[in-house]
Amino acid sequence: MESTSKKVTLSSSDGRTFEVEEAVAFQSQTIKHLYETGYTGDFIPVPNVTGDILSMVLRYCEKHVDSDTAAGKESFYDNKLKRWDALFVKVDQSTLFDLILAADFMNINSLMDLTCKTVANMMKGKTTEEIRGTFNIKNDYTPEAEEMVRRENQWAFE
Amino acid sequence: MSLKIMMRELKEMKDGIGNISKRGGESKLWRSRTSSHVVPDQPQESAEQSPWANLPPELLLDIIHRVEESETAWPARAAVVFCAAVCRSWREITKEIVKTPEQCGRLTFPISLKQPGHRESPIQCYIRRDRATSTYLLFYGLVPSEGEGDKLLLAARKVRRATCTDFVISLAADDFARASYTYVGKLRSNFLGTKFTVYDSQPPCDSMIPLTTHRRFHSKQVSPRLPACNYSIGTITYELNVLRTRGPRRMHCVLHSIPVSAIQEGGTAPTPLALPQSFDEQLSPLPSSKGKQPLIDTSSTSLAVTPLFSPGSGEPLTLKNKAPRWHEQLQCWCLNFKGRVTVASVKNFQLVAAVEPEHNVSPEDQEKVILQFGKIGKDIFTMDYQYPLSAFQAFAICLSSFDTKPACE
Repeated sequence: MESTSKKVTLSSSDGRTFEVEEAVAFQSQTIKHLYETGYTGDFIPVPNVTGDILSMVLRYCEKHVDSDTAAGKESFYDNKLKRWDALFVKVDQSTLFDLILAADFMNINSLMDLTCKTVANMMKGKTTEEIRGTFNIKNDYTPEAEEMVRRENQWAFE
Repeated sequence: MSLKIMMRELKEMKDGIGNISKRGGESKLWRSRTSSHVVPDQPQESAEQSPWANLPPELLLDIIHRVEESETAWPARAAVVFCAAVCRSWREITKEIVKTPEQCGRLTFPISLKQPGHRESPIQCYIRRDRATSTYLLFYGLVPSEGEGDKLLLAARKVRRATCTDFVISLAADDFARASYTYVGKLRSNFLGTKFTVYDSQPPCDSMIPLTTHRRFHSKQVSPRLPACNYSIGTITYELNVLRTRGPRRMHCVLHSIPVSAIQEGGTAPTPLALPQSFDEQLSPLPSSKGKQPLIDTSSTSLAVTPLFSPGSGEPLTLKNKAPRWHEQLQCWCLNFKGRVTVASVKNFQLVAAVEPEHNVSPEDQEKVILQFGKIGKDIFTMDYQYPLSAFQAFAICLSSFDTKPACE
């Protein structure tokens, strides 16, 4: 990475600050858009994201800036990056949830892709009960509706 | 730009994704506010309650969309059905994502069996006959696959009665009770086996209901179970073969529930959005009861045929056999089944629309095989159907071919 490039400082909801290359911060479309519409400062508050999550997100952005500039589209590098991504999302559920919200708020498309795919994979091959258990979601059906849903599932199993 | 403007902009973005992402100082309030949505009696892994129940809808939509896109083949596609079963908000979102067979060529929920098939390419299925139990099972797939069990779509059981034969059609291979929720309809033959009537357990829906109707859940409005009903939606007539000449049977299907306009340019076929006896039904506008009398089927012997055709929607769609071509080398009449039928049988058929010039149906559409049925092995038959027929209607028409018809051969 060019050491001469401009740096910006991001501040998390709990007041921690992170100094990163502009290119890293610009992985976030939200921040990029901010600068494109005329913002010139080098201090950016990210009010919705905690320091722990922001540091993870920035680690992700740094990795992906490297991949964009350095080896580019080479498949060897691509595979390596995929493995890195897979390890990156091996986190507990509440961290994953916070990452999704952060990716959504900061508008980082590839991170959104990665985190949503991870959640989608958690659902695959699971029954309704297991999905509810995994995500701790309450079954809010009335008994009649529940019965109907159960039958629909039964057909899916046939 | 001042920091003030920037903050305003950030706030706008924040508001754009809903207030759910407000964490930090407000998180305590947020959690206590949402705790009622979380199962209280389930042991928590930690003191924290699951945040997933409050995932912003557009993110949940994104996630379920990814599941739907990647699981296109059964049995993995069951995951989509399971997503729709998690809770009401998940169901609403999943139902919004999953397209009809007409749009995507895939079957997902049981209701897709009563929705028209794909417009461009046939949906390919096969039927397995079990002579010992008089059952006919319709599976999703080109041919029986080895090892992995194919997806069962519909099952039928032949029941001989004093004056007729019934094929009871069900969602399950082990339940043919008419009062059961698995009952989807039946096919009834006359004494000679030359004329059949297709009965649907639900009334033909109004084709004017737009597909994009958004359905909301009103859990309080669940009505007691409806009685089993039978609505005549079509008839199949086999031509008598008085001269006893050899060759394929000739049949004629009139589908009262599908207007001929469905195959005209820009036409649409009625698409039900929910099975009867389901709470989803409460949410779709009820078709007008004008001219539609549910035949509450308490006595199985008397069933009047009541064509249920709503006035003003035009003539019903009629299907006829595709004319075979004379094959010089084989010295017989042949139909091109495109490799999907391998055993010569009197049961094999291809159906095309029977239209008059005034119907304005293009020559290509007139040639289009809407339903094809044929033998590929001992007790195995393929069934390929297309728009505007549904899997249920196609299956019923094919079942009529299984009933022995001494007068027609």
